[in-house]
Amino acid sequence: MDTHAALYQQGQARLAKLRSLKPRHVDSLKDKMKQHGISRRDFMKWSAAVTSMLALPLPFSTLVAEAAELADRVPLIWLHMAECTGCSESLVRADTPNLDTLIFDHVSLEYHETLMAASGWQAEENLEHAMEAYKGNYLLTVEGAIPTANNGAFLTVGCKGHTGLDIVKHAADGAAAIISVGTCAAFGGVQAAAPNPTGAKGVAEVVNKTVINLGGCPPSEKNIVGTLMYFIMFGKLPALDMFNRPKWAYGARVHDNCERRGRFDAGEFVETFGDHGAKEGYCLYKVGCKGPYTYNNCPTERFNHHTSWPVLAGHGCMGCSEPNFWDDMADFEKPLGRQLLHGLDATADTIGAVILGATAIGIGAHAVASVFAKSEES
Amino acid sequence: MDTQHVPYERAFIFSAAIRIFHWLRALAILVLVVTGFYIAWPFLVAPSSSDVLVQGWIRFAHLVFGFLLCAITLARAYLFFFSKSDIERRSFKDVTNVNSWITQLKSYLWMGHLDKKGVYGPLQFVTYFAISVIAALICITGLVLYANVYHLGLGGMLWDSAAWLTAQMGGLAQVRLWHHYFTWVFIIFVVVHVYMAVWTGIRFKHNSVDSIVSGYDYHPKKH
Repeated sequence: MDTHAALYQQGQARLAKLRSLKPRHVDSLKDKMKQHGISRRDFMKWSAAVTSMLALPLPFSTLVAEAAELADRVPLIWLHMAECTGCSESLVRADTPNLDTLIFDHVSLEYHETLMAASGWQAEENLEHAMEAYKGNYLLTVEGAIPTANNGAFLTVGCKGHTGLDIVKHAADGAAAIISVGTCAAFGGVQAAAPNPTGAKGVAEVVNKTVINLGGCPPSEKNIVGTLMYFIMFGKLPALDMFNRPKWAYGARVHDNCERRGRFDAGEFVETFGDHGAKEGYCLYKVGCKGPYTYNNCPTERFNHHTSWPVLAGHGCMGCSEPNFWDDMADFEKPLGRQLLHGLDATADTIGAVILGATAIGIGAHAVASVFAKSEES
Repeated sequence: MDTQHVPYERAFIFSAAIRIFHWLRALAILVLVVTGFYIAWPFLVAPSSSDVLVQGWIRFAHLVFGFLLCAITLARAYLFFFSKSDIERRSFKDVTNVNSWITQLKSYLWMGHLDKKGVYGPLQFVTYFAISVIAALICITGLVLYANVYHLGLGGMLWDSAAWLTAQMGGLAQVRLWHHYFTWVFIIFVVVHVYMAVWTGIRFKHNSVDSIVSGYDYHPKKH
């Protein structure tokens, strides 16, 4: 049996198991689509699009459609740590509710601080109940970095004053899978930028389980929902790259699929923002595009219903989905070799100038002294 | 007219392979430094037609000479250990000998003369060893970057190891930065190396610059 057939059977078995579970919502996905004016045809198109995005063959689109309908059987706990809620916003603040936001609404969301009605003791009880009732089965998504300095005291959440570190560790223990949504949860993000006084870290560094990292500030709604869909469909993690990011989303560099790549190879560069090249859509490398060092599918998936993405809008990629991006990629509007303010290169350049200067002085001194020293063998 | 005759003798020290590799490596380093700095900051103005791939061709030169440097680094490491003449390997005896270090360091301070078992002094040997290590590192980081440029053939074969190394180094941006730092080691080395080669020839009348061209070391006969 080839791998695709095996995967298909695995998906079918998983979905049969999910179907036997009790749905959390009264309304089925079909009802919800009707309420939002989304047709069956739109749904099938969406299923096919998600299938191809996940790099699966087209017959899997029926599995995707089925998985979407059964999303309300998969308990999801969504934790907010040191973050700005931008990742949740990326998902729920679409200008028109589309299927991505609808799926997120349909999934059995047990706990999400931004979206839930409960607060205080009640919220805390919901979280504890969900972690107990679905122990070993729930999907845990974390948004935000985990402060670890002073035993995590820089972040306490809820009326019981637990630290974020405690909550994440506890929630990770009973999770079937863990997804870090956004660069902060994946790699620490801006909270972990030097000098990092709170000791902020990515989730993978504080728990002992494999964590799927969805880098991006924010990651696109497609990458969040696609990862959810994969887990619902197969009950396991997708193929992951060197930083545990799903290969289907982070398998290629931004540079490789960029619509301005031809301009790069031709040597047509924007020199300053607003110049002739900028109007012509030239390559943004010289005004700081970090696409060559960044793995993501922004050029192909784009943001806000495939509307646009930074490079299309005329600003270079700033490498927001890479580890340590805040320190490594700054200045955002200068290439790595031209950082003046915070630059590692600038530092290297200073060191290089000092060493070369010292070398020149040393050589000069040695040469002058040689003139006066007698030749050894004449 | 009667002039004082200084008897000279010659010794064959550098084999043809060593000399050819030396100059190929020098050429590769020159081309790689120039094209490398260009890639970091593309300063040429775009041609009138985008059919002319300025960046593409400069990257092409960088990649081809990069492979040349990889090949030479490998071949040279092999030659060091397995060449017929042990003139290079003999120098290792000086490295492990404290007196040889003192003799060489003193000779650089115009005290006494060079006295070595092989072709290199101990400080020289350690420097060449270090530059060979840096050459290996710049080749490795270069290949990691290359695996991201071309995904078939060699690039495709290198992908898994390149991805692993990228993760160890903390991302592709870090790989590129280290590639850049290593370049500076070569630039500093070349300046010091050329000076020392010329100076040694003048000061000791031994192993002068022409020996890496002809292979022969012409020096006054010892009495």
